[in-house]
Amino acid sequence: MVDVKLENVVKTFGDTVALKGINLYIKAGELFTLLGPSGCGKSTTLRIIAGLDFPDSGHIYFGNEDVTYLPSSKRGAVLVFQNYALWPHMTVFDNVAYGLKLRKLPKEEIKRRVEWALELVKLKGYENRYPTQLSGGQQQRVAIARALVVEPKVLLLDEPLSNLDAKLRLEMRSEIRRIQRELGITVIYVTHDQEEAMAISDRIAVMNVGTVEQVGTPRDIYERPKTEFVASFMGKTNVIPAKVVERTGDRVTVEFDGIRLDGLHYTGKEDEVVIVIRPERVKLKPVENAISISGIVDLVEYYGFFIEVVGLFGEERRIIARTISDRDVEGLKPTQPVTFYVNRDDVIILPRQKR
Amino acid sequence: MRVSKWSERLFGTPIFDPVVATSFLFPLLYLISFLIIPVLAMLAIAFVYNGHFSLHWFGSILGSDYYISLPSGDFYKLVTLPSGEQIYYVQGVDFGVILNSLLVSLSVMLLTTILGTIFAFVMARYNFPGKNIVRILLFVPLLVTPFVNVFIVKKMFLPNGLINWLFYDILHIFPHRIVIDGLVGVIIAQTMTYYPIVYLNAYASFINIDPTLEEQAENLGSGGFHLFRTVTLPLALPGIAAGATLVGIFSLEDLAAPIVFQGNPLARKLMSFQIYSAFTSGFNVGSPQLAALAIIMLTIAILMFLGIRKYVSMRQYAMLSKGGRWKPRIAKPKAWQAALIYFLVIPMLLISIFPQVGVVLLAFSESWSGTWPEGFTMQHIMSIVTQPDIERVIMNSVMYSTAAIVVIILLSLTAAYASSRFKKSLLGPVLDSLSTLPIAVPGIVIAMGYFFFFAKAFPDTLLDPTNLLGFNPALVLVLAYSIRRLPFAARSIAAGIQQVHVSLEEAALNLGASRWKALTGILIPLILLNLLGGAMLSFVYCMSETSVSITLGSINPDYYPITARMVELMTSAVGSANLAAALGVFLMTVQIIAIVLANLITKQRYSFIGLT
Ligand SMILES: Nc1ncnc2c1ncn2[C@@H]1O[C@H](COP(=O)(O)OP(=O)(O)OP(=O)(O)O)[C@@H](O)[C@H]1O
Ligand SMILES: [Mg+2]
Repeated sequence: MVDVKLENVVKTFGDTVALKGINLYIKAGELFTLLGPSGCGKSTTLRIIAGLDFPDSGHIYFGNEDVTYLPSSKRGAVLVFQNYALWPHMTVFDNVAYGLKLRKLPKEEIKRRVEWALELVKLKGYENRYPTQLSGGQQQRVAIARALVVEPKVLLLDEPLSNLDAKLRLEMRSEIRRIQRELGITVIYVTHDQEEAMAISDRIAVMNVGTVEQVGTPRDIYERPKTEFVASFMGKTNVIPAKVVERTGDRVTVEFDGIRLDGLHYTGKEDEVVIVIRPERVKLKPVENAISISGIVDLVEYYGFFIEVVGLFGEERRIIARTISDRDVEGLKPTQPVTFYVNRDDVIILPRQKR
Repeated sequence: MRVSKWSERLFGTPIFDPVVATSFLFPLLYLISFLIIPVLAMLAIAFVYNGHFSLHWFGSILGSDYYISLPSGDFYKLVTLPSGEQIYYVQGVDFGVILNSLLVSLSVMLLTTILGTIFAFVMARYNFPGKNIVRILLFVPLLVTPFVNVFIVKKMFLPNGLINWLFYDILHIFPHRIVIDGLVGVIIAQTMTYYPIVYLNAYASFINIDPTLEEQAENLGSGGFHLFRTVTLPLALPGIAAGATLVGIFSLEDLAAPIVFQGNPLARKLMSFQIYSAFTSGFNVGSPQLAALAIIMLTIAILMFLGIRKYVSMRQYAMLSKGGRWKPRIAKPKAWQAALIYFLVIPMLLISIFPQVGVVLLAFSESWSGTWPEGFTMQHIMSIVTQPDIERVIMNSVMYSTAAIVVIILLSLTAAYASSRFKKSLLGPVLDSLSTLPIAVPGIVIAMGYFFFFAKAFPDTLLDPTNLLGFNPALVLVLAYSIRRLPFAARSIAAGIQQVHVSLEEAALNLGASRWKALTGILIPLILLNLLGGAMLSFVYCMSETSVSITLGSINPDYYPITARMVELMTSAVGSANLAAALGVFLMTVQIIAIVLANLITKQRYSFIGLT
């Protein structure tokens, strides 16, 4: 168990700048997630922490030790690859035992620890199978067992659940969480699935084209996004471009399509902004301290445990309201007029990001 | 349309279609007629004694000291020359014909595996200045110059040859001069000829290993030789083993090395040479004992072939990485590795391409009795265009080879179409195995089978080899070439067909085209480049075919193919080796042109030869 620090890590591949100076601090024993869209540099960051690639500049520390140029084999940061990388010529047992044999442990000890690891991932009895004789989920679990069994200082998981079906994914997700808590190891977890990140992480770093946009707890990231990118990446969100037309203290009035909304919290300097409102904060009944937006109903969509009402207003703008109550949407039909209410404290104003 | 049960079973399509049926039946019948039946003709003779079925001939071989014995003779001798100088004369020991062949084959497999794997690993994993030149040089030993390259190998190991000059006179590594001959000569010559086959297979295997598999091992603490031993090598092993087995079969059937080293009686005690010498002495080609020997040889080759197929199919690791990025593991060598590359690997490579270099030197020189040839001359090269007998053998070979590639293309196109498009058929797998089987049938065995077959089936006609000067080998050679070279073209064309998605043809069928239209209008145009590439390579390998050409092809001088004339030149008076070398240069030129063209046209690197 060790804490991990990345300092101004830059990595380029030819003309592509994969990482543009990353700074991260991962506490010992926490489950830290790198979240971001495909190609944003998550795997690259992980490979650099694992010692499989070396940064062009910047440093990596495990505790106080500078490990930037320590070879992968000496680092004790074990990576579970995006594609599992199971050795097809070895049985499950031999795959898992590989790292232990390298550490020259006695046979008995190896056997005991492999058994322990396979039990942990619920694969007892599969010792003599070859990887090709396993399902995707089982292969994944072998890969995790193989990494865990050597008791790594840091466990690195690169989209470990991406190839699983929805049900197995949920199961494995809580399994990883359980194992991490039980063993108390530092885990760095990579995913592009924001829901997964929210469910599993102690803290999340949201990445976008080679930079870290925000680091925080799942709640922080979801409720207090610091940038437009983070806000829109974290699930379905209402994002409306607008302009600040009046400032009084930390309250502003914004305008778009001739519609003015006043009394909103904003301290940024930029006047070009976006209004961000989470769908579940958009109400169909009046609430206190609310702004209101009137339009017509475009769609009512039934998702099972919640319902979404999509409204049209202004110049072809859309707003989505999410509710769990059937009564809220009773009688709402497309083309009917409707008014949406949002508590002013639930409206987030962020500077508009350049595209 | 009627649904036909047997069409579905046999051809994999419930609606009988003449195009599909022809695609199955043409190659199938051809292979049965000209591969299976000639071999059966030999069986019919080998298993009969006094008019009855009997194992007599096999017994007489296996029971004879001549064929299987305990080792006798000295592996090497310290010989004193008239000058008083002592030299090591290395020739190997005699285990009898059958064991000699096996031991030579195993030794060559072992040596080529070591050499080929080292070269492949260096080329697949290291970037070093000069790598591109090395890559090109590695193709040089693949250029086939029948007999002459072995002749040069022999020269290299003479007391004043290149090797002794280098390691005795200059570097003082050898305690005495070393001369190789006999079985050791055969082993060294074959190793130098065949190691690139292992190299190509091993290289492909190393390149195809998913890099994350090695990274994971490193990540868990492995590295250096441990990583190679536990992960890299086991994953590359199927490919390396396939290459080595191919070499083993080639070594078994090779005639060039034993013929060149036949001055030493040990070199003659090999299965291939025993059968060959029956042809040249003209007596007992028809002997049942020889047929039995041919069958033993065939059995060994086929067992090797089936063994490797089984082994490889068990260990086909699908190594397509899902999601992960392919970052090839190519590193700059560390100082000691660079030293090994420049002071060991590259010098070995230079020595191994010397036979081909030597062929060129020999072709342009007046004489060559010392370490280096002397006197530049164009005379031998000019003979190619001025000497009528040389011109004639070239024309003959071009004619035979051209006819053969037409057949090869038809065969491989139909066979590959049938077996890759109608996989569920009963005949598909049969066709698949049959069209790769010729790899495992030694050329000399085909020659012998054809001898029996044509002598029996067409007595006293142009096709009867016992008719001597009344025999015209044209048809026989075209058949033999087309069978022997089929597997190589078939693979290249099957690979092409596999790249064209079935749906392209299905779309045409769906729009109302017939199978014939879909085949000629859609598939063939799409794989035209593969066809051309396959045709050019087959042409090259037909031109340089030896086993059948120097046996059945050298019965009637009017119809000699190139290699028949070459072996004649190599085994006759002094000085004619230069002319053989000129023909060797001609063959190399044809090969280089064909391979460069094939690579340009198809825009893919042609790995010449592979198994599986
Ligand atoms: N070996 C490489 N050679 C060239 N470019 C690379 C290499 N590895 C990564 N890149 C580039 O660096 C950037 C970041 O890649 P990275 O694999 O870290 O993304 P990722 O966030 O893991 O994406 P994904 O979710 O698709 O796995 C991409 O633009 C990618 O094209
Ligand atoms: Mg990735």
